[in-house]
Amino acid sequence: MMLLYNILIIIAVLLLTPIAVGLILGIDRKITAKCQSRKGPPLLQPFFDLFKLFGKEHVITNRWQYFCTYIYLVSAQLAIVLLFLGADLLLIFFVQASCAVFLVIGAMAVPSPYSQIGAHRELLQVLTYEPLLILIIIGIYMTTGSFMVDAVFAVNRPLLYDLPLMIVVLGYVLTIKLRKSPFDIASSHHAHQEIVRGVHTEFAGGNFGIVELAHWYEIGLALCLCMLFWATSIWGALAVLAIAFFLEILVDNISARMTWSWMLFHVWLVGFTLAAINLIWLYMR
Amino acid sequence: MVSTVIPFGPQHPVLPEPVHFKLKIEDEKVVDAIPAVGFVHRGLECLVAKKDFVQMTQVVERVCGICSAMHGMCYCMGIEEMMGIEIPKKAAFLRTVWTELHRIHSHLLWFGLYADAFGFESLFMQFWKIREKIMDINEATAGSRVIISVNVIGGVKRDISPEHRQWILSTLDEVEEALRDLEKVVYEDYTIRKRTVGIGVLSKEKAYELGASGPMARGSGIDIDARSLGYAAFPDLDWEPIVEYGGDCFARAKVRFREMLQSIGLVRQAFQKMPRDEEIAVKVTGRPEGEVITRVEQPRGECLYYLKGNGSKNLDRCRIRTPSFANFPPIMSMLIGCRLADVPVIILSMDPCISCTER
Amino acid sequence: MAIEAEDTPLEQLMWKVVTLKEAGYRFLTLTALEVDEETAEIIYHFDINLQMKNLRVRFPKGTKIPSISPIYFAAFWAENEVIDLLGITFSGLKIDYHGTMYLDAEDKDTVKTPFCRYTFVKKEAE
Repeated sequence: MMLLYNILIIIAVLLLTPIAVGLILGIDRKITAKCQSRKGPPLLQPFFDLFKLFGKEHVITNRWQYFCTYIYLVSAQLAIVLLFLGADLLLIFFVQASCAVFLVIGAMAVPSPYSQIGAHRELLQVLTYEPLLILIIIGIYMTTGSFMVDAVFAVNRPLLYDLPLMIVVLGYVLTIKLRKSPFDIASSHHAHQEIVRGVHTEFAGGNFGIVELAHWYEIGLALCLCMLFWATSIWGALAVLAIAFFLEILVDNISARMTWSWMLFHVWLVGFTLAAINLIWLYMR
Repeated sequence: MVSTVIPFGPQHPVLPEPVHFKLKIEDEKVVDAIPAVGFVHRGLECLVAKKDFVQMTQVVERVCGICSAMHGMCYCMGIEEMMGIEIPKKAAFLRTVWTELHRIHSHLLWFGLYADAFGFESLFMQFWKIREKIMDINEATAGSRVIISVNVIGGVKRDISPEHRQWILSTLDEVEEALRDLEKVVYEDYTIRKRTVGIGVLSKEKAYELGASGPMARGSGIDIDARSLGYAAFPDLDWEPIVEYGGDCFARAKVRFREMLQSIGLVRQAFQKMPRDEEIAVKVTGRPEGEVITRVEQPRGECLYYLKGNGSKNLDRCRIRTPSFANFPPIMSMLIGCRLADVPVIILSMDPCISCTER
Repeated sequence: MAIEAEDTPLEQLMWKVVTLKEAGYRFLTLTALEVDEETAEIIYHFDINLQMKNLRVRFPKGTKIPSISPIYFAAFWAENEVIDLLGITFSGLKIDYHGTMYLDAEDKDTVKTPFCRYTFVKKEAE
């Protein structure tokens, strides 16, 4: 019975996450367009883009990159499935870390200079947010008493009450993961940077479609982590999601792209300070 | 120290026009930058052999889309000087109006591309939205948005009616208001300042030595503007060259922003002082003979025309030195020692118009 | 009408350019044109405070002109263009594209002089 239940959850997560994230990205593009006095693409545009990529001619130029792309997809899917199965947060952390690393390895497998520099910057981005994510998980542990996701639902007050500063830190992590200005350093959405599309430059066709799909699963994981902060009520969770997402779009539209050294310095300074304050406050209680 | 060679361009999404830089990078710092051009070389100067001196007006207007009326004006001024023709004052004022409008829309275009270079897409969209108003003025008064073809030897082709005049002045009021709103963002936004202040510094001595021109030179403190030569209606207008002393990308952006506001003022002055009822062109007879050099101030800097006629209907030589051509050596000196992330910002702060550079 | 240009023999070119540099002139550009079948000329344009000074140098086609890029570095850019378009060669160019600035690299062995009415045969093979 338990096994059947788990299998159903896995299938539901694998199918519904891309659909939900695709719709959210469509809303993102529409709102961004409205901010820029444009009409914007149709709401389902992310899906059209994804299907277009899968419909392209299947050419494998680099087998190692192809392999890394699949591992990237599988680890991203595994991370979000584990979250919905209520597994250990530390395990989820390491699975999503490995998924980020495999994208970088896939980019480094190609000799293109844009890809190499993009991969290097992507590693710096990962380096920036991973320690903060660990501190957030430690904060959750100190509140719920366990690393398991299930324990978050067992506590009957929202995590936001105990970890108010951690959600700000999670906001930084989300901005980097979603590749929004000022932190769209490794791969900008519009390819208008000196390294063209950065880490994504040499992925093409169906291969790039898989990278996009895996990125959607990663976004899903990050957004679900946001929703965990108000796990007691579905409306609370959706409210946190909506506010966090809207703030991301706002920040994207009011700032330029910064350099990786600024990102590392600024995010660590603010992130570590806020996380430390929150953790110390939790410890003192 | 691992050194990589990054090919920047010619097909690069951040570049508005095709130019190739071979950047030698060591640990994200540029140590060497060699430009390669030639992707849009059309050999327009060569066409003097085929097109007669009247048709050449159209040819030089197509050297560049963004400063096209100024190329036309410079060429016509050269032929007029060679043939001893004096154009009516009204034509001089009309030329000033159209060329200052060109300056405004060129700088607006530049601001959009510049914001795009450091990843601020919404600012890019805002500037181009304002630019559409100027394009509408171009279309209503001259019939075309970009290459407006209003200059003829002896004057201008069209007049601006009093209704259009009112409409242009009210549109410019709207443009000025929109620019004042964006002024705070351009001057004081933290992320923009972080990406442009102190980046691509060109000292005054180096700018002078390497022959920098236009906002590149004025952003480094060199007080030089070819409009001081007193062509068209400029002797009758009240203005001053705009100079900033920072020498970095931020200073150049400031020069261009202030120039936009100054140009709006110049158009207003020109409309006020324009003689009302007069001819807009004089009849031209004869053939050009001799040599002449004319200079105008285009949005990117000082443009020099050397024209040589030999009494036949084809000119002997038409040499065009555009400001983008002159600004290439300074760019090479600015790129050395900068970070890779600053390369598009620096290249765009020169306002590269490669079709002007290569003709 | 003619422009005010100082006729300069080729040997005096470098010396005159050095005096102009010391007087504070900035380099505007150079114009190369062919005069007739045998002769070409280059006019150098300089400027100080919007006052221009021009030097006219006339020489038989095929002569190697001393480059002024050691004095005015910015001149290398204009001189390279002249190599492409008129086939005039320079000695001592700071950065030399060898005629590939506008034209393709494959064509650099043939002398193409699109701006000359009378083309000439390159005597020395490089």
